Amino acid sequence: MINTKDQKALFELIAKYLQKNITCIAIGGTAMMFSNYKAATKDIDLVFKNEEDTKEFVKAIKKLGYEQRSLKGVYDEKRQKAKSKPQMYTRGQERFDLFTKNVFGYELDFSQENIMQRNDFIEKQQLIIHILPPEDLVLLKAITNRPADFEDINTILKYEKIDWKNIVKKAIRQKQNNPWILHDLEKTLQELKKQHFIKQEILELIYNQ
Amino acid sequence: MSFEKHTVETFAKKHDITRQSAINKLSKLKKQGKAIVSGGGKQKRIYTISNKPIPKENGFYALVNKHSPEKLTPKFTHQVNKNYTIEHAIIDGIKIGDVRTLNATKHLFNQIKNWKRLFDLAKENNIKKEVYDLYSQAKKEMKVKKIPEKYDKHKRSKSTI
Repeated sequence: MINTKDQKALFELIAKYLQKNITCIAIGGTAMMFSNYKAATKDIDLVFKNEEDTKEFVKAIKKLGYEQRSLKGVYDEKRQKAKSKPQMYTRGQERFDLFTKNVFGYELDFSQENIMQRNDFIEKQQLIIHILPPEDLVLLKAITNRPADFEDINTILKYEKIDWKNIVKKAIRQKQNNPWILHDLEKTLQELKKQHFIKQEILELIYNQ
Repeated sequence: MSFEKHTVETFAKKHDITRQSAINKLSKLKKQGKAIVSGGGKQKRIYTISNKPIPKENGFYALVNKHSPEKLTPKFTHQVNKNYTIEHAIIDGIKIGDVRTLNATKHLFNQIKNWKRLFDLAKENNIKKEVYDLYSQAKKEMKVKKIPEKYDKHKRSKSTI
């Protein structure tokens, strides 16, 4: 596990080892920590604009002793075989899950208009980490579907009023890139309905696709 | 993130507590980072309260609003480590690009400490021309620091004649 203070210190250290400026999007537990939804995470999930940025970031974390590991035991078989699966790097306790351009086919919007928070780590180079609105974080948690993801969605729901229609519309727009996105989202919504009020019309939007 | 704005009185009324209890509770929320206060003195104190710690803003918008009479409403929360400077803010203002942001960014040209840093960042981000253009506009409208001859492209182009 890595806490908020250590995560910030780690990013500052990585910025010192970068050879060029990099902008990426944090999702998952890292995004939740930047947004103050939680104080620690097991994995640091980042999405880069292109392969070049991913390679540069990997070079920097390898200098810090991170080594690549397999996705087995973390992601199910379907996600292990997906084209846009992440690269995983670990050094013991915490782990990096590094995606390029999209998260299991779900394309992320890197434009300024879509970001809710921006964190700059300026050392020799600049590491800029964007955080997306809570609706995107919830949708991405439904897509990655790791053991702690459902709990994290519940945590976000404690603090935020989520626009479910917006989430479903985003998923529908991307269903061609990711054929199982609506299925995963529907499954997550059915589970969430047991604890939170989600209108049936939201699920009908999915069923009518 | 959802925010509520309260005075001490409205907070006390909402939670059905005395004024003193409200003050005590608000003080605790401030220590937890879940409340920030504005006003005070002649102005009524207004507390902005969140259900989770409010991220501290120390980036572009904090810097611009400190130095510009034209204040900006943040489009996003911007947090930076210790190395964010006026020069970084000018570059970010140009990259954000809307008219209000550019107008507010002009005021930062009176605070520049390191012209080399500004133009190195401009070169890295391919916006040298935009920096010069914004500087020229700012120079016409307000007090700005004088650009060193080394970086002043007008003087440099004259000297090559």
